[in-house]
Amino acid sequence: MNRPNLAIIGNGMATCRLLDELDRRGGLGQFQVSVYGEEPHGGYNRILLNTVLQRGSVDEITLKPHSWYAAKGVQFHPGKTVTRLSHAAKRLWTGDRAEHRFDLAVFATGSKARIPFVEGIHRGDGSLKDGVFVYRTVADVESMRARVRPGLPVAVVGGGLLGLEAAKGLTDLGADVTVVHLFDTLMNRQVDAVGGQFLRRAIESLGIKVLTSTSTKAIVGENRVEALVFGGEGRLLCDMVVFSSGIAPRIELAIDSDIPTNAAILVDDTLQSGLAGIYAVGECAEHREAVHGTVMPIYEQCSVLADVLTGANPDARYLGSKVYTKLKVAGVDVASMGRIEARYESDEIVQIVEERRGVYRKLVIENDRLAGAVLVGDSTAAAELVQLLERRVVLPANRLDLLASGDALAGVGSDPEICNCHRVRKSALQAAIQGGCDTLPKLSELTSAGTGCGSCRGQLAHLILQHTHGVAGAARG
Amino acid sequence: MNVPIPILNMSDRNAQTVKTHCPYCAYQCGILMPSGDENAVVGDSAFPVNNGQLCIKGWTSGELLGHSTRLTTPLIRTKSGQLAPTNWDEALGVIADRMQSLQTRYGSDSFGVFGSGALTNEKAYLLGKFARVALRTANIDYNGRYCMSSAAAGSNKAFGIDRGLPFPVSDIARASTILLVGANVADTLPPIMQWFEKQKEAGGRLIVADPRRTATARTADLHLPLIPGSDVAFANGLLFLALDEKVIDKNFIAERTVGFEAARNAALAYPPIVVERLTGLSEASLRTTVRWLASASSSMLLTGRGPEQQSKGVDGVLGFINLMLALGRVGQPASGYGCLTGQGNGQGGREHGQKADQLPGYRLIEVESDRISVAKVWGIDPTHLPRKGKSAFELLNSLGPDGGIRGLLVMGSNVAVASPDAGRIEERLKSLDFLVVCDSFLHETSESAHVILPTLQWAEEEGTMTNLEGRVIRRRRVKQAPTGPRGDIDILCELAKRLGSGDKFGFQSTQEVFEEFRRATAGGIADYSGITYERIDSEDGVFWPCTSEDHPGTPRLFAERFGHADGKARFHAVHYRPAGEQPDDAFPLYLTTGRYKEHYNSGAQTRLVGPLNATRPMPLAQIHPHLAKKLGASSGWRLTLETRRGRAEFSAEVTHDIRTDTVFVPFHWGGRHAVNRLTNPALDPTSRMPEFKVAAVRIAGVRPPEGRAP
Repeated sequence: MNRPNLAIIGNGMATCRLLDELDRRGGLGQFQVSVYGEEPHGGYNRILLNTVLQRGSVDEITLKPHSWYAAKGVQFHPGKTVTRLSHAAKRLWTGDRAEHRFDLAVFATGSKARIPFVEGIHRGDGSLKDGVFVYRTVADVESMRARVRPGLPVAVVGGGLLGLEAAKGLTDLGADVTVVHLFDTLMNRQVDAVGGQFLRRAIESLGIKVLTSTSTKAIVGENRVEALVFGGEGRLLCDMVVFSSGIAPRIELAIDSDIPTNAAILVDDTLQSGLAGIYAVGECAEHREAVHGTVMPIYEQCSVLADVLTGANPDARYLGSKVYTKLKVAGVDVASMGRIEARYESDEIVQIVEERRGVYRKLVIENDRLAGAVLVGDSTAAAELVQLLERRVVLPANRLDLLASGDALAGVGSDPEICNCHRVRKSALQAAIQGGCDTLPKLSELTSAGTGCGSCRGQLAHLILQHTHGVAGAARG
Repeated sequence: MNVPIPILNMSDRNAQTVKTHCPYCAYQCGILMPSGDENAVVGDSAFPVNNGQLCIKGWTSGELLGHSTRLTTPLIRTKSGQLAPTNWDEALGVIADRMQSLQTRYGSDSFGVFGSGALTNEKAYLLGKFARVALRTANIDYNGRYCMSSAAAGSNKAFGIDRGLPFPVSDIARASTILLVGANVADTLPPIMQWFEKQKEAGGRLIVADPRRTATARTADLHLPLIPGSDVAFANGLLFLALDEKVIDKNFIAERTVGFEAARNAALAYPPIVVERLTGLSEASLRTTVRWLASASSSMLLTGRGPEQQSKGVDGVLGFINLMLALGRVGQPASGYGCLTGQGNGQGGREHGQKADQLPGYRLIEVESDRISVAKVWGIDPTHLPRKGKSAFELLNSLGPDGGIRGLLVMGSNVAVASPDAGRIEERLKSLDFLVVCDSFLHETSESAHVILPTLQWAEEEGTMTNLEGRVIRRRRVKQAPTGPRGDIDILCELAKRLGSGDKFGFQSTQEVFEEFRRATAGGIADYSGITYERIDSEDGVFWPCTSEDHPGTPRLFAERFGHADGKARFHAVHYRPAGEQPDDAFPLYLTTGRYKEHYNSGAQTRLVGPLNATRPMPLAQIHPHLAKKLGASSGWRLTLETRRGRAEFSAEVTHDIRTDTVFVPFHWGGRHAVNRLTNPALDPTSRMPEFKVAAVRIAGVRPPEGRAP
């Protein structure tokens, strides 16, 4: 058999999707595909890392077990880092110095956590101090969960999407979490200043402390973390610090292989790099000055690349994606898409602020078309808005029509049903809590909520917590 | 037999009233009809499926019997192209001659047969036998390919058996949560709503996923207006959330299924951020759906043509089955997955050999042991049985000189209206050397026919049907057959005799066909061998499988085991893929098709019924007010819809009940009003179902209603 060799470097979500797209087009028969993955696992869904943090198994987030590669005839090299690649020789070498031939290669090396310059982050021998973590891989969260215990003071440096998800995961494990954010607005890349205020309130109601406009200057502690020192005044005692202050594309191998890069590997509309036969997808690819780190654009890239590689549709072109992100934290509803601020004088801004409901919604409109949106507290309209953003259709004259969510959710919104088994609504639960049910067993006994499938117990605990916070706040004020 | 059965428990005054069933959909309502000249119809309150209720089509079904346009004599096309009356002997003789001469010249497979989900079990069985034994052609298929084939393939893969509903419809009333996907039952199976109403009264919840806010969706607790063609993403997204919410039933999965890991791995690639974008549905509503399904003491998921009539219809069905298996609901009381069959005998019609790949009893024509079993009943050498032939659209698309199928016999189907890309199929029909149509009325397909044979109608002959529950019931002869038309069974036997196979078709009555048919199904998956006309009468129908006369029948499947050899259900890893055609800059909107409650299928019958036609004389194109405003149109304005296959003009119906990106048109009309001239014949790779539910369309013209200045 004389099939061309297709090497895929990296084994993250982009690779898993690319393999599925190739499979659908017969590409796994057309090519001898080899996948080089640094981690020992089959490909997994990185956005579900909190499942592993909550003591779940890697299986629960696995997209492709080892058996999948074998069954599909894909040569899988787990635990192998590609250290060198020669475009001219059409060969690559892994860390164990093994040499592999390829005809075509795809970079899907993703990105790594960016660790900011912080004094005292390293030990004398250059390794990270005990208690310093990043939130990126299964190994990262496995070591985090081994260390965390109830009441442990933890600092999460970076209040972006990933930082807030990590903070929530650690809080669920009982840690006493403080988010330290450099800017004055949490998730400042996705949310504007007003939305940031709503978001902050929602995050704080989960029992997470938030420090904004705070730079982290140094880590105190001999060999292990004891405290953070901030740029201005003050310090925070903590036994653990998790850095989630951004990611950086992994392009060292590309640079060493003379593949043109900027912030990431430069690709054209067919996802081909500056060197013929070498492609890049996902977080390590830069297309028309954009590097995408969310799942849907990466899926779209993989679909085009599979079309191009297999010849299923040689005319397929990737023309860029609209940005759409959501915060995946139970109890805090945030969605953001496109531009979040006005750019031109003619841009229209529609803002709806509902203080008591804790809901903030903002639309950015350019030339009668949706250019972006920020939704905090209630993102039900987002699924439809993102269609309008994508299709660039002319919006209805009454912009408020856009926020009428398409799906008629009976009872959701004003007074949602929390316990679906026993049909107990939020208002009934709040009344019971005010009447003295300050623990989960008491609340369940009185209202039956949480005694069916049990899936609402987290929300019940959250309601109790919210109430006690409210009382404490009132006492202080 | 063939004598009206008096209803014993009725007063003498009604002694001539006969219990039978409605001629239309798969719900097969029990009706009572007088045997005299009057064609009044009332619902049979003693039949436990409809309990006396009927829809407007059922109430008016008697009108067809005495209709003035009914065909009473065979017609033959003259050299000048006119249809002229002829006698039966000549008509049958011409057909047999042409069949033989075309097959001699071009081979046995050059003559095709196209059947229907409207035919009784006896007719469907005999049509399959006629094709294989008398004509010896591989090319037989039927219009059920356009209806239930995706659900059938999905159920066979997952459960090892395909019976639309694995439980009686009355179980609906006992389900705590029901998710209906792409099924507008309030319009398509109206009397079924009584069970949904009972379900609601008992405190149950209903969720309806449909791009339109249909009459059914309006009764729901939650309506999910998903993007046409996004069902696989929807199903996988729900499974993702079921995993996320930790509500899957690990014990059920371990004990009763295989293949969960692969389905889970696939579903993990569908987080809400992806699914929201593909389906247009919010994470909140998806989560609510999963919670309602998982937390209820019993829950059902039922699909209609929405997810099934797609080029990925089978994967959609498998995705929904995955979800219900993962939740541990299949085979549990008032729970599980079911498909709502559409055509009158869509269920029986797909079990007994009018499908290209099938033999009676749900046997497969490419399985050697199945060939041997059936050949034995038919008294032929198994090697003489043809192999698998072409599926419905592929068969029709092969008509004419360049396709190789030179002649076609159509029984009970109006393919010129019901097929996708109908303009192309019309051309194909016209290019045939010889077309025979057996029907009671002229319609769009018979316009191209060389010979038309007038047939008896539903209330004029005997036969059994299998309703959407898998319940085998009897249609009875209520009326004296008029002189002129003949029954389909009679026609097939007469033709077989002329083709030299008379000894295999020596049936004197429908019941004789039924007796042979029972034997032919014995030992198959759809085993009818224990069902008799007498048992059907005394037991309100009998549910298959029923393997002997003392077997009670099987109202509920899967309580203990599934149809696969190991008794376990199968998960399947499925992935979303785009429809055969997605909206783009040139054709920016989705086109989807469906039904009105006043019409049935191609409308060949219902368009002839006064009250039905008066209420719905024409199809309307539903569009959202936002779209209408952009076009400068309002209700009643004429819209020219255009796809890559054709154009058609419709009046606009402006309504909030549809997505802003979607146009809906019902398909019951032919010619200039045929939306199927626009639909896309992209086929599902497994079921060969065409993609009636998704095409990319543009509005190429807008003009005010007739008689109004622009």
